[in-house]
Order: sequence, then C-alpha cells, then structure tokens
Amino acid sequence: MPTQPFTGRVQLPVLIIAAVFLVVVMPTLNAFGIIENFTLNLWGKYLCYGIMAISIDLLWGYTGLLCLGQALFFTLGGYMMGMHLMLMIGKLGQYKSDLPDFMVFLGHTEIPAFWQPFYSFPFAIAMVFLVPGLLAYIFGYLAFRSRIKGVYFSILTQALTYGMALLFFKNDLLMGGNNGFTDFRTLLGADLRTASTQRILYICTAVLMVAVVAGCKWLTNSRFGLIQRAIRDSENRVLFSGYATANFKLFIFVTSAMIAAFAGALYVPQVGIINPSEMTTEKSLEAVVWVALGGRGTLVGPVVGAISVNALKSWATRAYPDLWVLILGGTFVLIVMFMPKGLVGIPSQIQELITKIRRKTPQADPLPPAISSETADP
Amino acid sequence: MCRFLTQRALQRVSLLLFFNLLLAGSFTWAKAQETPSIREVIAAAVIADSPAEQREIILSLKSRPSPEAISWLEKWREGSIFLYEEDGGPSSAVLLDGEADASGSFATIRLSDASPMLAADGSPIRINPKTVDFADTDSGLRRVMKEVTALAALADPSPEKRIRAIQDSSVGQKSEKLPALEALQAVEKNPKVIRVLGESIAIIRLKSRDRNERIAACRTLGEVKSLAAQDVIKSVLDDAMTAGDQETITAAKKAIAAINAHISAINAVGTVFRGLSLGSVLLVVAIGLAITFGLMGIINMAHGEFIAIGAYTTYIIQNVFAAGLKLSPFGISISIPGMNLESGANLYFAVALPASFIAAALVGLLLERSVIRFLYRRPLESLLATWGISLVLQQLFRLIFGASNVQVSSPDWLSGNWTVNDVVFGWNRVFVIGFAVMIIAATWLVLNKTSLGLLIRAVMQNRNMAACMGVRTERVNMMTFAFGCGLAGLAGAFLSQIGNVGPSLGQNYIVDAFMTVVVGGVGNILGTVISALGIGMADQSLQQYLGNPVIGKILVLGAIILFLQWRPAGIFVTRSRSLD
Repeated sequence: MPTQPFTGRVQLPVLIIAAVFLVVVMPTLNAFGIIENFTLNLWGKYLCYGIMAISIDLLWGYTGLLCLGQALFFTLGGYMMGMHLMLMIGKLGQYKSDLPDFMVFLGHTEIPAFWQPFYSFPFAIAMVFLVPGLLAYIFGYLAFRSRIKGVYFSILTQALTYGMALLFFKNDLLMGGNNGFTDFRTLLGADLRTASTQRILYICTAVLMVAVVAGCKWLTNSRFGLIQRAIRDSENRVLFSGYATANFKLFIFVTSAMIAAFAGALYVPQVGIINPSEMTTEKSLEAVVWVALGGRGTLVGPVVGAISVNALKSWATRAYPDLWVLILGGTFVLIVMFMPKGLVGIPSQIQELITKIRRKTPQADPLPPAISSETADP
Repeated sequence: MCRFLTQRALQRVSLLLFFNLLLAGSFTWAKAQETPSIREVIAAAVIADSPAEQREIILSLKSRPSPEAISWLEKWREGSIFLYEEDGGPSSAVLLDGEADASGSFATIRLSDASPMLAADGSPIRINPKTVDFADTDSGLRRVMKEVTALAALADPSPEKRIRAIQDSSVGQKSEKLPALEALQAVEKNPKVIRVLGESIAIIRLKSRDRNERIAACRTLGEVKSLAAQDVIKSVLDDAMTAGDQETITAAKKAIAAINAHISAINAVGTVFRGLSLGSVLLVVAIGLAITFGLMGIINMAHGEFIAIGAYTTYIIQNVFAAGLKLSPFGISISIPGMNLESGANLYFAVALPASFIAAALVGLLLERSVIRFLYRRPLESLLATWGISLVLQQLFRLIFGASNVQVSSPDWLSGNWTVNDVVFGWNRVFVIGFAVMIIAATWLVLNKTSLGLLIRAVMQNRNMAACMGVRTERVNMMTFAFGCGLAGLAGAFLSQIGNVGPSLGQNYIVDAFMTVVVGGVGNILGTVISALGIGMADQSLQQYLGNPVIGKILVLGAIILFLQWRPAGIFVTRSRSLD
C-alpha cells in the first residue's frame, strides 16, 4: 500500500500545467473549432468521473474504507440536479404539460409537493449536497458507531446501493422509474444543447476538479489528514491514543459523498440523462477500478485512472465490443496483483526494481510485502 | 385393488344408466338408429340441414357422456372439421390427414368412420383447407356443445377432471345444473370429489328461491370453508340486509367469518412455506460463500459466476443426454454430440449434479492457484481482483453461450403441486427445501467427519500453528477454496431447475449471499443456516403483509443494517483475543 501521498516538489509544475491545460487550453481550442464539441463533452464526462474517483480515493486510499456506494451518491446528486432540469423543461415536453412527461404518463395531474421547491436552482444545488450527505451521515453513523470496518463496510455499502437502486427503479417513487430523467432543455435560462453552454459546463467541471484536488491536498496534508492515514494503517492505535475515530471517519465519509454528488450534478446536464442503472454496485466497482488503476493514495492517480479507463472504454467499446469487458476485467486483475501502486506508481516501482537488481538480491517477486490495516489474521 | 376397480366400474355404469333415464325425453333421433358411434353422431350433426336439427343431434349425446365426444366437439369448434361436397352427391364431414403437399392440399378421411375419401378412380381426394368450407358453428350450437361437454366432463374417469367440471358447473349458479350434480353426488365415492360436489351444490343453492335452502347452503359453505363461495355469500348477505332477513344475515356472516379465518390460516401457512423455500435458496447460494468468505476470509465477488458455471454445466449435460449442442465461441465452432437418450430428460440431473460440482471446483482451483493465493493477506484487494474475474467470466459466458438465457428443462414432477386443505405446496419449493437440507448435511459431514474437514478447521483456526504441526496449509487453502466453489456450482445446478440460466445469473444472488453470511456470523455454518431462513421468512412475510416484493426487499436490507448495529459480528460471534 502506498503510504506516501503525492507531494513531490518536482510534480507541482506538472500539475499546474495539466490544470491550465484542462481549464483554459481545451475550452479555448474548442472555441476556435480545433477540438470538436463532442470531444470536449466527452472530456467533461471524464472529468466528472475523475472527481468521483477522487472521492473514492479520499475514502479508500487515505482512510482505508472501501465504499461500494459511491455511484449511489454520484447518482443521487445527479437526480437532484435532474429534478430541477426536468421542471425547467416546462411545456416543451412531449405532452405539452407543466409536469415532467413520465408523470403525465403515469396519470398524475399535479406536481407532487416534494418536487415543488426544485423550481428554485439554489434549492436544487443545496439538495445536491444535503440529500447524499444526509444519507451518508445516517449510514455512516450507524456503521462506524458499531465499528463496522474493512470488508464488512464494503459489503454493507454494496447492500445499501442495491436497495436504493431497487427503490429508484420503482415508478411509485415518482423519480422516473427505470427510464429516469432525460430530454433536458435549459439550465439557468441557457439552452443545454448549444456548444457554448456545454463549454461553460466543461469549464465549471474542470475548475471544480482543480478545486477538489487542491482542497483534498490541503486536507490530506493537514493534521486531519495525518490522523486519517493513521486510521487507515492502524485504527486501534489511533483509538487507544484517545481519538474518536468514528467521528473522523464519519466526516470523511460525508465529505466524499458530497464531492461525488456534486460531480454527479455536473454530469447530468452534460450527458443529458440519468437513470437508476447508474447507481448499481457495478458502477461503484468500476469507479474503484479507475482509482486502483490510476494509483490510490494519491490525488492525481484517480483522475488519471478515470480518464484513461474511460478513454480506453470509449475506444474499445467501438473497436472490440465483445472483448472490452474481458480487457477491463483482465487488466484489473493484473493491476491488483502486480501494480498495487497503479499507473502513477510505475516510476517508483521501476526504481525499486532497479535498486533491487543493483543490490543483486535474488528476490524476483514484484509484490511488495504489504501488510495493510485490514489484514485480519484470525 | 380388484374390488375397488369393480366398484368404480359399477359406479360408472349406474351413472350412465341414470343419464339415460334422465334425458330419455330428448331421444328422438338417436333411438331410431342402432346406437351409432360417437363419430357417426357428430358427423351426422355436422351435415344436418337446420341449426335446430344440429342442436337436437348434439343434445342426444348427453345420454352418453364420454371424453371422445368432448374432443370431437372441440375440433368442430376450432374449425378443423371440413365439409366436402361430392359432385351432385350429399356433402360429408371430413378431416384432414397427413402432410400438406406443394399446393397446400391435404388428404382427407371421413369423420364418420375414419375411412379415406376416394374418388371414383380410387385415387385419394385432396382438399385445400383454404378453399373448402369448414363446419361452422353458431352461438346456439356452441351453447349446446358446452352443455354436452360439461356433462361429459362430469363423468370423466379422472377425479381431477371431474372436480374441475364440477367447479365449472357451479359458476353462474344456474339451477338447471343441479340435477346432474345431485345425481353424481348419489354415486360418487371419491372423498375429494364428494367434498367439491357438496360445495358446488351449495353454491348453486345459494340462489335458490327457498329461504331455508339458502340458509342451509350458507351453513354448508361455512363448514367446508369454501374459498370459491366467498363472493356469492357476500351477495346473499347484501340481499338479506336489504330484505332485513335476520336469520340469513347471521348464517351468511358466520360463513364469511369461517371462510376468512380459513384464508388467513392458508396465507400464514403459505407464507411460512414460501419463506422456508426462499430461505433454502439463500442457504444453498450462500453455503459456498460461507466456506470461502466465512472460513477463509476471501471476498469472492466471482461467487455468483461459479453458480453460473454450475448452471451452464447442467445445461451442457442436459444437451449431451438429448440431441447434442453446438457452440461457437470466438468464431470457433464446437459441436458436442448428444446421446439422444429417451429418458434423458428425467435422468440427466443425476449426472449434472456431480458434474457441476466438479466443473466449478476445477475453475475454483485454477483461480486459487493463479490469483487468490497472492492475496490472502489483502482481503480488500481480493475483493477487487475477484470482481475483475467475475467480469471476465460473465463475458466468457456471453461469448460462449450467447447473451440470452438458455433453456434448461426441469423434470416433469417438479412442476406439479400438492394441495393440502387449500394450501398449495409446489413440488419445486419442496425440492428446494429438500436440496438445501441435503447440501447442508453434506457440508457438515465433510467439515466434521472427514480428515480434510479436520485440516480445514485447523488451518482456519490457526494457520501458523497448523503449519508447525506439519499441515500443508497451501494445499488445504487450495482444497477449501475448490470445495467452496464446488458448492456454488451445486447451487447453480439447483437454480437452473427453478429459474432462468443466463450470463448474469450469479449477479442476482451475490448481494443476498453476502448478506446471509455476514448476518449469520462469519466462520459459522449454523449461523448461515439460521440467517438464511430468517431472511427468507422476513422477506416473504413482509411481501405478504405489504403486497409489494420490492419494498419488502428494501425493508429487509434496512433491517439487516440495523441488525448489524446490535450484533456487528452476526448471530454467532467467533470469539478471539486477537485485535485486528
């Protein structure tokens, strides 16, 4: 397990260049027509995934909590934004009614009370944070209080996600059933189908991502981050030193849920659809793959992983639709086994290998003798 | 046995005699003939001149109720009897015979005596069903046909068919059906049929003009707790309310109360039974996981795919016993020859069981050697790696067997059911419970009565100590994992009998399986048994109570999370002084 966060002085300029490229250069190139609208939109999607990946890493890489419900928080954030967007369609829908199409279809004549406040954009944004945050708070409070950790935490978050997905698939919930929300028109008066609106959304996403990376960097380098990593490496010692580890974990869990939710809220207007199949456990696990591939315990790794896996996916699902899943699964197994530090860890792994060969130690096993906090020796 | 048969025969004869007497009035045409065969009667009816005459001829069949009459009338109704008009001659009723030729014409046989229709030169006459008229029916004729059919069904030798006919005749509460039922009541010996007869007669009598008869019928229906009579008694009650007839109101209310009590008893028993069977499914699915996850601590996300391996193995074995199987993964076509066994459909499962165990165990062995043994000390990583493997396996299933579900037939006896006192016990659910008991017994025996089991338990309790004592822990790990996977394969063979087999078969069960093991307490087989049955019962009761399976399931998941608040380590806690 990589214990060193990504804090080299050398990399900082690289980071800044990357950030400037994503925030300024890409949209500028797009405005001049050098980058296609489609590509920019795709990158906007990747960056949303990147933000979700950071939220997973904050939990998994830094705190040792593998949450399989991150896609749930992401989708919930998306749904909150989607509710606002649905109401903004107004009479432009298929049924020319004030109600979202699916409600007309289900035979409703009035907008339900819990939808009403979503006419207000600030309220919708507040809900993007509050609903997933509250769910994370309740679940985390229950889980951490009874000291559920390690794989049990993973399995329980998996069950939570599964249950919520079942709920959202139901039409009675009035959240669109398995079709979810789609066919959005405007956001804050701007037409979502124009290139300029999409460019602004992209810039927002990129800026937010830079902000999240910077914020997480500050957090993980602070005293709080130190305790966070201590919890990951040996929770009991931290507990016995007098820290209420449950509160620390709860804070980080809620924070990461909110980050994921905000990413989801930015994702929906760019992709134009949200439905419950996005909140399944598989989607969470897929996001965990990005983190593992990019390199967990770093802040850049998840973004690198999210972008590279999704770019690979965009290409492979067209080139080799049948084999894509085999490639993803196979790569994943190999990475877990042989590259525990992920893509960003490759340089240090190579360095390690070279030192080993120079010392002429006959050990050829590329696996580090990692002993992690979750090692439970019965 | 012999006496029984004789009795049954006598009963039939006396019934026939009765019908003869009863319907003697309608004999006008049949008497004139020398008891023509049923085919002849039908043929005569088809070509009769007027609809009235047709009805009369068909009604004559009331005197000789038989399944043959039912089947011919059925054919007539669906239009498979045709009218053939010989040049200048009389028309006759014919049936199509053999295969269609190039022009879509068929050879024909006479309905009356099954002889082939021949032209003057001796060549067979062929007709095209598209150009020749079929024997038509009108509503009056169909009504008469129905009457005859119903009466014939009442005399059917099979008790089940008789029961169905009796129940049908009570629909609509037509008093003209009463005499036939009462006649049957006088001679019927089968207790089940007698019970249904009493019920049906009472239902019809509820419509009787005689008030006392209605009250008596209410009482009878209350006593037999008739489910079918629920609505009709309610309407009697409503009528009595408007008329202010106290005595009838009391009787009807009493009957309704008795029936409602019976319904809730049936539902309760049914829920317990369904809960047991759902619990058994969970148990069978989770028992393999209880070994790999519970005992070894490996989070095998590919557990569901091992279940699917078992199911697909069953599919292959089934086809090997039948006509063989052609698969074309990656463009390579593989043809597995079949043995074309006639009794294969009922036999193959006995071979499929061990085969699916072995197939899944072998794949498990391969997985353990190639991936999992590197991850014993890193459980979270084992979760991720096995998830990758589960993706790969699912895709392989899709490539090999296709993305849609494959057809696995289950033996005929699984589709029947056993009804006791109005509670239906489906054989497949009974099979589920039996299978679970068997698999648990087998697992318990392996773990507690074999030397492998002893080694497994020793290694799981204290790996280092066992190694010091000379146990080859690597090998035990391998065997344990293979055993757990083999159990998943068995679960797959089992699930193939009660549900669909497709690439994502395992995904439907994986969350439930993990929940079951976690609630049961990791490392404890008995805990898994109790938690599986508990979750199954809770799920079915909530479903019954709420009438909504999805909400029930969500509530169960919520309840599990809350339960783990109270007992974070599950029902049975493995006590240990070590601090993880």
